[in-house]
Amino acid sequence: MKFVDEFRSGELAAKLSRELATLVEPGRPRKLMEVCGGHTHTIYKHGLEDLVPPEIDFVHGPGCPVCVIPMGRVDDAIALAEQPEVILTTFGDMMRVPGGRGSLLEAKARGADVRMVYSPLDALDLARRNPAREVVFFAIGFETTAPATAVTLLRARAEDVRNFSVFCNHVTIGPPLKAILDSPGLQLDGFIAPGHVSTVIGTRPYDFIVRDYGKPVVVTAFEPLDILHATTMLLRQLREGRCEVENQYTRVVRRDGNPRALAALAETMELRDTFEWRGLGWIKASALKLRPELARWDAEHRFELPGARIDDPKACQCGEVLVGAIKPWECRVFGTACTPERPIGTCMVSSEGACAAYYNYGRRLVRRRDGVPA
Amino acid sequence: MTDPGHCITCGDVAEVARVVEVAGDTATVTLPQGGRERVGIELVAPVAPGDLLLCHAGIALERLSA
Repeated sequence: MKFVDEFRSGELAAKLSRELATLVEPGRPRKLMEVCGGHTHTIYKHGLEDLVPPEIDFVHGPGCPVCVIPMGRVDDAIALAEQPEVILTTFGDMMRVPGGRGSLLEAKARGADVRMVYSPLDALDLARRNPAREVVFFAIGFETTAPATAVTLLRARAEDVRNFSVFCNHVTIGPPLKAILDSPGLQLDGFIAPGHVSTVIGTRPYDFIVRDYGKPVVVTAFEPLDILHATTMLLRQLREGRCEVENQYTRVVRRDGNPRALAALAETMELRDTFEWRGLGWIKASALKLRPELARWDAEHRFELPGARIDDPKACQCGEVLVGAIKPWECRVFGTACTPERPIGTCMVSSEGACAAYYNYGRRLVRRRDGVPA
Repeated sequence: MTDPGHCITCGDVAEVARVVEVAGDTATVTLPQGGRERVGIELVAPVAPGDLLLCHAGIALERLSA
């Protein structure tokens, strides 16, 4: 497949690996945060840690939407699903995320009508086919997924589909990066920025990282060679004393993003004053809600929701994993009480979650805190 | 339309797909792993059969440069 096969060449990977070895200063660690869970998944699926010099430390960022959803919002979705007239729709992994009252999958087992969809447009179709029911789409995701919700809302409004609504939990990537940069004690040397979010928002929203924090940024895609290439670009910037937002993913990402996608978002959604992020707490202007003129399609206006704030389980250290403060294997319940089959924390639910990626692909790297191989 | 190893909630599992047919705001595309899917094309239109689109969650997000 064009744009896939050529980015998985072992020969080119070996060449980039050799180049990386020439770009590091022996003994000087470089901490590079891969913002997106998709990058984390690629790094462990393809064993990229073994292809980079030991000086390079990939720090996993907060870019996994499932991982950052607070438990209270899951409970709100469960409350929606338990209303007899409601068909609650959402993406598959969201169904397994534990809230304070269990997961949506468990609510389904108790009799709630919860259905998995691949697109919010599928949820809208379901509403058209079930006019006597209320179909709610539990929307989560960053700026890559939000345009699909926006397009669906615009179609629902154009067709005046009144038994469809959105429980909006879309989040934006800039504010959590700023929160991480402002957090004391975390030393990062650069950022591998998310490619498909940038397809929508462009590369300008990362300018503040360069301007205000002096950290280089490279926007990149998700094939193994993309990430290795982006790592060389970051190291070259560091070595040459440059600090820029560079775009490795030029085959898709433009400086200004996709203006039509941004317009669809602006027409349907606006920033919330604040939103709770798992592991990061409340972050101002970091999430989206439906615009007041679309209140008819806003589940938060149409239904009573508990709106409770639920503390994370005490044993779970997802919060520290999400900001790169600890590695997944350093969590006290990783791989023991918390596994993909029985997740305690959100980072173990999604395959893009750092814990699940380590568990699924990196068992041989698993070490306890004292460094003894497991 | 996603790799079973990936979580669709992550926007970064968008996939490159080739357009085979266009009808109004919807295109039928072929997926890298085989099979066909219908995607909304409001954000990238006009598109034509043969175009490569970056698709995610049922819509096309961008057209790929050759």
